[in-house]
Amino acid sequence: MLSFRVLRPVASRHALLVLPALILMVGVFVYPVGRLLLRSVSEPMWGLQNFRELLAEPVYFNALVNTVVISGSVTLLCLLTGYPLAFTIARASGRVQRLLIFAVLIPFWSSILVRTFAWLVLLQSRGLINRTLIDFGVIDTPITMVHNRIGVLVGMVHILLPFMVLPLYSVMVRIDAAYTHAAASLGAPPVKNFLRVYLPLSSPGVINGTVLVFVMGLGYFITPALLGGAGDTMIAQLIEVEVADLGRWGVAGALAVVLMFGVTVTFAFLARIGNQARRK
Amino acid sequence: MSTKALNGIKTHARTPDLSRRQLIGTAAGATASLVLPRAAFAQKTFDGKKVVFASWGGGYQDAQKQAFCDPFSASTGATVVQDGPVNYGKLRTMLESGKPTWDVVDVTIDFLFSGVVDNLFEKIDTSIVDVKKINPNFVHSDGVGDIVWSYNLGYSMTDYNESSRPKSWADLFDLRKFPGRRMLRDRVAPMLEIALLADGVAPDRLYPLEVERAFKKLETIKKQSIFWTTNSQSQQLMVDGEVNLGVIINGRAYDAVNKGAKIGIEWNQHIQSVDYLVVSKNAPNRDVAMALVNAMTAPEAQAKVANLMALAPTNPDAFKLVDEAVKPWLTTNPAYVGKGLLTNEIYWRDNLKALSERWEQWKLA
Repeated sequence: MLSFRVLRPVASRHALLVLPALILMVGVFVYPVGRLLLRSVSEPMWGLQNFRELLAEPVYFNALVNTVVISGSVTLLCLLTGYPLAFTIARASGRVQRLLIFAVLIPFWSSILVRTFAWLVLLQSRGLINRTLIDFGVIDTPITMVHNRIGVLVGMVHILLPFMVLPLYSVMVRIDAAYTHAAASLGAPPVKNFLRVYLPLSSPGVINGTVLVFVMGLGYFITPALLGGAGDTMIAQLIEVEVADLGRWGVAGALAVVLMFGVTVTFAFLARIGNQARRK
Repeated sequence: MSTKALNGIKTHARTPDLSRRQLIGTAAGATASLVLPRAAFAQKTFDGKKVVFASWGGGYQDAQKQAFCDPFSASTGATVVQDGPVNYGKLRTMLESGKPTWDVVDVTIDFLFSGVVDNLFEKIDTSIVDVKKINPNFVHSDGVGDIVWSYNLGYSMTDYNESSRPKSWADLFDLRKFPGRRMLRDRVAPMLEIALLADGVAPDRLYPLEVERAFKKLETIKKQSIFWTTNSQSQQLMVDGEVNLGVIINGRAYDAVNKGAKIGIEWNQHIQSVDYLVVSKNAPNRDVAMALVNAMTAPEAQAKVANLMALAPTNPDAFKLVDEAVKPWLTTNPAYVGKGLLTNEIYWRDNLKALSERWEQWKLA
C-alpha cells in the first residue's frame, strides 16, 4: 500500500535497521514454515500425493468451508458490534475515551485459554446464564449455548473484537466532525449523511479491521476445540490431528499450504479494495 | 576427636542398621533396598551417566518421576532428565533422523505397533530387563508395558442411584432411558468398538470392525454428544453437570472423585489400553535406559504410581502393595478379569489413518 516512490529511498538508507528483525524472522519463521511446506510435496515421497489426498477426502474441503464460514461470521459480528463502539470511543470526551479504550484492552491481559474456559463456565447448561434465566422464570429448560456454533462465535468474537475496534478507532478519531456537520447543514438526513460521508471516511478502518479479524480467525484452534461441537472442526484442528495423532507431516503441510494460500489471497484482495477506496 | 572423624563413625554406624531393617518387612524393605547400595558401595553403577526420560507431563509424569526415576537415580547414581510432553510428530521425526535425544519414552500402544514396523526402537534387552515378572499380555519385543488403563462408562452419582444408573454401552446409546447430553472421546479408537459393543456385537467377534455399522450406531446419538479431546475436559464436563454419562478414562474419574466429584464408573465392557516403555533406536544411553526400564517394572515402583494416579500395574506382584481404596479403580484388578477387552492394535496400526479421516468427516457431515 506504500507506493514504490516512497519505498525506494527508505530501503536504501535504512536497510541495515531492518536486519535484526529480518534475521529473526528468517530463523524462527521463514525457515521452519518453509520446511513444513516442503514436506507437503516430499513426504512420504516427492510428488503431489498429499494435495490429491486433500481433494479425494471430503473432510478437508468441509473443514475449509467451515473455517471460512466461521471466520467470516466472526468478522461480521465483530464489525457490527465494534463499529458503534469505536464510534462512541472516537466521539467521547478525554476521560471517558481513555476509560473505554482501557476496557477494550483489558482482555489482552489474560490468556486465550483462560477466557475460553470462562465462557464455558458462563454458557454451559448449568452455567451462570442458564441458571439465572431459570431462577427468574424466563426459561424452563436450559438453552444450549456451548459445544455448538454459538459457543464458537461468542468465544471468538470476544477474543477478536479489539482487533476490529482499535483500527476503526484510529481512523474515526481523525475524521473531522465538520464534514458531517457540513452535510447536515446542507440538508442530508442522518442515514444518508452516514452512508455518504461518515462510512466512506471510516472505510480504511473497516478494511484494516476486517482483514485482521478474518485472517486471525482462519487459524483459530483452541476456541473451536473447547467451545465447539461435532460440526465445528476448523482447519487448524485437522492439522493438529494429522501431526500429533497420525504423524502425517505431509498432509499437515499440504493443509498449511492451503491455509496460507487462502490468507494471502484474502490479504491481496482486501488490500486492493483498500487502495481503490483510498484513491476515490 | 575432630568432628570429621565423628561424622565418619556415625555414617558407619548407620549402615548395618539399614541392612538389618531391610530384613524386617517388605514395605520397609522397598525403601531400604534402594538406599542400601549407596552405603555399601562407594562407586555406583551409573555414576556420572545420564538418561533422558520423556512422558506425558502433568500429574502422570510427576508420579513417574517420584516412583520410578528418583529412586533409580538414588540407587544407581545416574541422572534422569525429565522431558516431554510426548508428541508423536516430534518423536517420529527424532527417531527417523537416527539421532534421538530421548532415551526412554512412554508411548501408547498404537505408537508402539506403528513404530515397530518402521524399526524405530531398540529390542528390549532381556539380560537387563527382567520381563518374566510382567504379565505376558503386556510384554513386547520392543517395549514393556508400565501401566494399564481403560475407557469406562462413567456416570454422575448425583443424577443416578445404583438401580437407575447406566450399566452398559447400550445404555449410553439409549436416548429413551437416558435422555440429554452425553460425552464421547473425540477419537475413532475406541469409539467404533464402543458403538459395536452397544449394538450387540460379541467382544470376541469385534475385529475386524464393522465400520459402517459402527458409524450408523454412532449417528443415533451424534446430536446429543459432546466430544472431548483432553482428559481434563472429560472431568470438567462431568463435574459441571454438562453431561451425566459418557466415556471416561478410569484414572481420570478417580482423580475427579478424589477432588470431590460424585462420579462412578462401570467395569462391564471396559476397553483396555497399555502404555509401553520403549528405548529409542540408537539411544545415546542405551544401557542406562534398559536399566531404567527394568526399575520401572519393579512392584514397589508400580504400586506407587497406582496409588498416586489409579493407573494399574503390569507387574502382578505390585497389586498386593496397592492401597485398598485405590484397588476398585484399577483396570488389572483380578475382579474385573473377563469384563473388558484389550484393543486390537494390529487392526488399528493398519486402519487408524483412514478411519481417523472417516471419523473427522462423520463429525462434520
